[in-house]
Amino acid sequence: MTWLVPLPVVIPLAGAGLAVALGRRSQLQRTVSVLSLTAVLAASLTMLFTVDNGPLVVQVGDWPAPIGISLVADRLSALMLVISSAVTLCVLLFALAQDLALGDPDSPVAIFHPTYLVLTAGVAISFLAGDLFNLYVGFEVLLAASYVLITLGGTRARIRAGTIYVIMAIASSTIFLLAVALTYSATGTVNMAQLAGRLAEIDPGIRLTLQMLLLVAFAVKAAIFPLSAWLPDSYPTAPAPVTAVFAGLLTKVGIYAMLRIQTLLFGEGPADTILMWAALATMLVGILGAVAQSDLKRLLSFTLVSHIGLMVFGIALSSEAGLAGAIFYVLHHITVQTSLFLVAGLIERREGTTSLNRLGGLARSAPLLAALFLIPAFNLSGIPPLSGFLGKLGLLQAGVQASTPLAYVLVGGSLLTSLLTLYVFVKAWNKAFWQPAVEPTSATRLPAGMIGTASALVVLGFVLTLAAGPLFDYATEAARDLHARTPYIEAILGAVR
Amino acid sequence: MLQLLIAHLAAALAAPALVRWLGRRAFLLLAAVPAASAVWALTETGSVLDGAESIIRIPWVAALDLDLVFRVDALSWLLVLMVGGIGSGVLIYSSRYFSSRSTDLGRFAAVFVGFAGAMLGLVTSENLVQLYIFWELTTVFSYLLIGHYSDRVTSRRAAMKAILVTTLGGLAMLAGIVVLGQEAGTYELSSILANPPVGTATATAIALILVGAVSKSALIPFHFWLPAAMAAPTPVSAYLHAAAMVKAGVYLVARLAPGFSTLPIWQAIIGVLALLTIVHGGVRALRQSDLKLILAFSTVSQLGMLILLVGSPFQAGALAGMALLGAHALFKACLFLVVGIVDATTGTRDLNLLSGIGRRMPVTAVIGALGVASMIGVAPFAGYVAKEAALEAIIDGQAALAPFGMPILVIFALGSALTIAYGLRFWWGAFATKRGVTASLEVVRPPLLLVAPPMAMALAGIATALLPGLGETLLTPHAGSYPLGEPGHLAIWTGFTPAFLVTLGAFAVGGTVFLARRHLSRMAFPWPEQWDGDRIYRNTLRRVDQAAAAITTVVQRGSLPFYLGVLFLVAIVGAAPGLFRSTVGANLWFGTDLIVIAASVAIVAATVLVVRARRRVKAVVLAGITGYSTALIFLIYGAPDLALTQVLVETVTLVVFMLVLRRLPVYFSDRPLAASRWVRLSIASMLGLLVAALAVIVPQSRVHDPISDRIPTAAVELGGGKNVVNVILVDTRAWDTLGEISVLLAAATGVASLIFLRHRSTERPRPGSLEDVKATLGAAEPDPIGNLRQPRSADAPTRKANWLVAGMTLAPHRRSVILEVAVRFLYHTMIVFAVFLLVSGHNAPGGGFVAGLVVGIAITARYLAGGRYELSAAAPLQPAFLLGMGLFIAGSTALASMIFGGEILESAILHWTMPVFGEIKLVTSLFFDIGVFMVVIGLLLDILRSLGAELDHQGDVLDEDGEPVRQALEPAGTIERREP
Repeated sequence: MTWLVPLPVVIPLAGAGLAVALGRRSQLQRTVSVLSLTAVLAASLTMLFTVDNGPLVVQVGDWPAPIGISLVADRLSALMLVISSAVTLCVLLFALAQDLALGDPDSPVAIFHPTYLVLTAGVAISFLAGDLFNLYVGFEVLLAASYVLITLGGTRARIRAGTIYVIMAIASSTIFLLAVALTYSATGTVNMAQLAGRLAEIDPGIRLTLQMLLLVAFAVKAAIFPLSAWLPDSYPTAPAPVTAVFAGLLTKVGIYAMLRIQTLLFGEGPADTILMWAALATMLVGILGAVAQSDLKRLLSFTLVSHIGLMVFGIALSSEAGLAGAIFYVLHHITVQTSLFLVAGLIERREGTTSLNRLGGLARSAPLLAALFLIPAFNLSGIPPLSGFLGKLGLLQAGVQASTPLAYVLVGGSLLTSLLTLYVFVKAWNKAFWQPAVEPTSATRLPAGMIGTASALVVLGFVLTLAAGPLFDYATEAARDLHARTPYIEAILGAVR
Repeated sequence: MLQLLIAHLAAALAAPALVRWLGRRAFLLLAAVPAASAVWALTETGSVLDGAESIIRIPWVAALDLDLVFRVDALSWLLVLMVGGIGSGVLIYSSRYFSSRSTDLGRFAAVFVGFAGAMLGLVTSENLVQLYIFWELTTVFSYLLIGHYSDRVTSRRAAMKAILVTTLGGLAMLAGIVVLGQEAGTYELSSILANPPVGTATATAIALILVGAVSKSALIPFHFWLPAAMAAPTPVSAYLHAAAMVKAGVYLVARLAPGFSTLPIWQAIIGVLALLTIVHGGVRALRQSDLKLILAFSTVSQLGMLILLVGSPFQAGALAGMALLGAHALFKACLFLVVGIVDATTGTRDLNLLSGIGRRMPVTAVIGALGVASMIGVAPFAGYVAKEAALEAIIDGQAALAPFGMPILVIFALGSALTIAYGLRFWWGAFATKRGVTASLEVVRPPLLLVAPPMAMALAGIATALLPGLGETLLTPHAGSYPLGEPGHLAIWTGFTPAFLVTLGAFAVGGTVFLARRHLSRMAFPWPEQWDGDRIYRNTLRRVDQAAAAITTVVQRGSLPFYLGVLFLVAIVGAAPGLFRSTVGANLWFGTDLIVIAASVAIVAATVLVVRARRRVKAVVLAGITGYSTALIFLIYGAPDLALTQVLVETVTLVVFMLVLRRLPVYFSDRPLAASRWVRLSIASMLGLLVAALAVIVPQSRVHDPISDRIPTAAVELGGGKNVVNVILVDTRAWDTLGEISVLLAAATGVASLIFLRHRSTERPRPGSLEDVKATLGAAEPDPIGNLRQPRSADAPTRKANWLVAGMTLAPHRRSVILEVAVRFLYHTMIVFAVFLLVSGHNAPGGGFVAGLVVGIAITARYLAGGRYELSAAAPLQPAFLLGMGLFIAGSTALASMIFGGEILESAILHWTMPVFGEIKLVTSLFFDIGVFMVVIGLLLDILRSLGAELDHQGDVLDEDGEPVRQALEPAGTIERREP
């Protein structure tokens, strides 16, 4: 079944090529995009079941590892691919319903579809990379596409936000590239499985330096305090589906990269303590940021940052339980954060604003919208029995299991974050949904497709809850693989050694 | 059991539709669901008494030890009966309480039934985490119910207060549960209680769980949310805030007490908070004028009593507590419903405005009297039986309680006395005829369905009291599981015991207080204001808001230089310690090659000058110098491919910059960041030093052979090429290349996306809607050289006179004949050269990327010489087509090799002989390279179209500075021919 592995990358890329070449035949473009992403979802789902028997490895071009590039789909990669392709497909359908994809007939290149497909391909490259430099390429691909999407429409606000976004991303990519180059110069390889062995054998000081540089680069992508401030300044201005997919996915690619390198390349060490503190600061500073907002989209961006801290907490625990909790929380967070941003998009479309001071009375005037907001909002706040609670429970259990003073502090911090998240959403709900509007807004009818796709994501959140048993088992297995490292390494280098 | 929960869920989901269909009558239908719970509990009575507990287990999240397990024992049985019975009564009541025209009833009904279901789940949960799940669900539903009148600010605030306070406790409880589960190795209550863990961790866990219980049951210091929650509709107050939800805390305490009530921390928390709450609630109840608030504070006080009793380690206390639990649910729900009737029929709940109601509504008054009688403990009511048993238990336990026995007895008796006082005052306030108060209020006769539920509850209060033996039999199984003493008895008459004397004393005191109510209301309230929970809550929220604003202002500056500075600082601080800890030396020997040294110096000098440059053009050119110098270094170190690529990329970059700079101000803006200049300079210098140090130190740590040693041989064997760089690009790491060309595609779309949007001065109201997109479009421009392209047009002579097709479209003073001639001669040579580079790339320097750049530069030259119409002539293909097909070809090549049975992107080496060319060797990676070639050309073409031609065009149209740009850029001599 190894032929499945490259598909999540190659299909969208070929699709992107076609979409560009098709130019302005938008009906065809839509078909190409939807078909591509559906195919990717199908391939990812098949892989999810296949890799339960062991990682799938592809040596690109049949160049043996470690010379060529290894693509690896293990449990973690497969899980990430499934959730990301499901979410990107939903958001694509949402965007289609929103007419965002129409673009500008004057432009010599069709914009939305190809860029979006390139973005998904970049995400897939990152999840499948068994090669540190290829991971960098994956980041570049998704970032380049994201630069285009975040400035879509080119309003003044978007250009300004895009400037911060692009330059921060490029700066962090430079640090990433520097780290890759230094890693190669220190070990003579960029194959991750080989790095796992070689890094253990070089000078520990140098190893720590390389680790910290990589972590700094990923921390920017994942928006970890103090490297998180760019996110709330740039995400909210983009079109709703773009923000939704960015918020859901892109930060998680950073988290994924951290999960991978922390477990495979470096293992437990002093960096864990640093990550613990960073996680705590991310949670608290992030959620306090959300408390201070009066615009729904900005508020959501801050909650996004805040809850990244929870995942970092799980990574920093570096125990099986912690990693499993982090992995499950990633699945949950991708889904719920994307749904919330889509709902924010619905609100913006309906009312023409997302300012909490101008919105009002939506619970009565738009009950369905209210439910679509409230359920993921409670989910994100960790209200049981929704998936956010289960993820949080996993992390709390892992923290208590670790039973170090710092872990207890983090447990307390996570709970405080939950409470403040609830405060934030209750405040938003009181203002936008219960309190009558100051001045009546002229509501627009929402296209059924937009509501349908947003609902589908909310339902996906329920599915995560209902299927939490097998999913958490799977995440635990994935965490066990990460922790053990050998399944991954042997799958790539087994034949070589 | 499970069916009941599903029925609640289904009913909740169906409720909005039912209400839409049946109106408020839907409540009657919905009432059947909680009634079913009560009936089910009754049918289970026998098996519960036998101790034959039914357990249902549904596997859920095994990894978290979270299975759904339901178990009904004597304690659960009591609560199921309460939750179901009173729930159905209140739902029946609701069918008349709400006006048939009231809004949001569907939502209300759904949430109410959902709440009943959550409560049912809570009291039957065997797994502690599962219990927490239902616990939080009741909190959430309570939030939605308290905020029912969402137009009112008091409702919204009260709802928020309730959810925040109870969730605060809930989260503490969750932490406690997780720690307890870790200590005990299970979350299942019966296992934990059968074998309770000990130790500091357990004690902490129990304390945290108790925080949850007391916050839910509104004990001091969390009590303040409950009176505020009276903003909810009265049925909600009756059910959630008297009978059901606030009892969750009592339930949990009763549940855990058999295992943990002997812990000192347990006794300290329960004892202190319960006693304080009894007095505080009682005193506050006396001072309210709103009937509902009297009941709310009364509930607070009595929750204190309940928790004191069920939280004691004594079996007798537990029995009394459980009896009082049942009695309280009955009389308090009844009294709330009575207040609801008074409120609904008279329009007020203020006892200063009500007068003579008892005469006009005798039935309601009688029900109220029955409820109050049970509350204040008059025989033969359930409240009396329970309270006597409680006093008995406290008096009998004096020896074991010492030295706290006497204070507890006194406070409990005081609580009883206060209950009597405010109970009498409540009835007097609601129904009595008062002097000086006009009884002119309009009174409507309450409908039967409004009166029946409280009546039933009041009668149930008598019925249960008349059968104390039955109650004792039913409640003793749980009470008997407590660690100390004997269960004791429930009885209507026990003789002139000390307990009875205390009761008499309480009546005397309470009656006196009631009679002296006028004087009391003028007395100062002894509660220190800063201890007021409500005040603390408001202050905390305000401080959180302030802190949030303060921190966010510092962190979230919106300043890119600040963010970059932080990023670089973090990188420095992160990377430096490892470097200092390493034992690897540095290699400071750079070699003696003069060219390398010169190039390095040039790079450093240019970099410094770039930073100092004020003119944009100067900065761009200097930045170019660093690139060209780097190319030189590549060349010296034997990498002609890299050098060639670097030179071409640098050139293209320069051209692109120049195209863009036409539309930017000449100088960089004044430096507004002068203040932080030195900080930024030092961060930058430190970062530079760090990177330099890394570059000289890190390579020294290598102890392995690099994989690059194996690539040259592998390139020939596997990749069929001698040019290692090209083989790496199109074969070894073709996967990277595939990614990178998609970056080019994204970049091309990005440039086009930004440049081809015009008229953006105003923000779009609805981003992305079709109308807007149409509105922002400029008119399409006719093609002025369309007819020039016709080979045999009437204008052929004109065309011959030009070196370049579109040269004449430029204004005369912009044309350069020399440039036109040079381009005319060079263009085709460059194209041929590019094709050569493409084909030969596998063995010699070259390749698709470089070849594409060469074509791009050739086209650029034609554009620069002939203007934007020349560009159209030079590249008849759309950039989109090139970009798209390029990526598509590259991607398809990748897939094709899989279809032929190889790995993805695996190349094959084909040999065959052709008549003229002789032996031909073709490596299939060439097709991939062609894809790369096309994408690169497409990108450059796209950039020229966007940043070149389109900016020219916008310059024509926009004419921003009011200068005669239009004339200068206007195609000369073709204007007449433009119109068809």
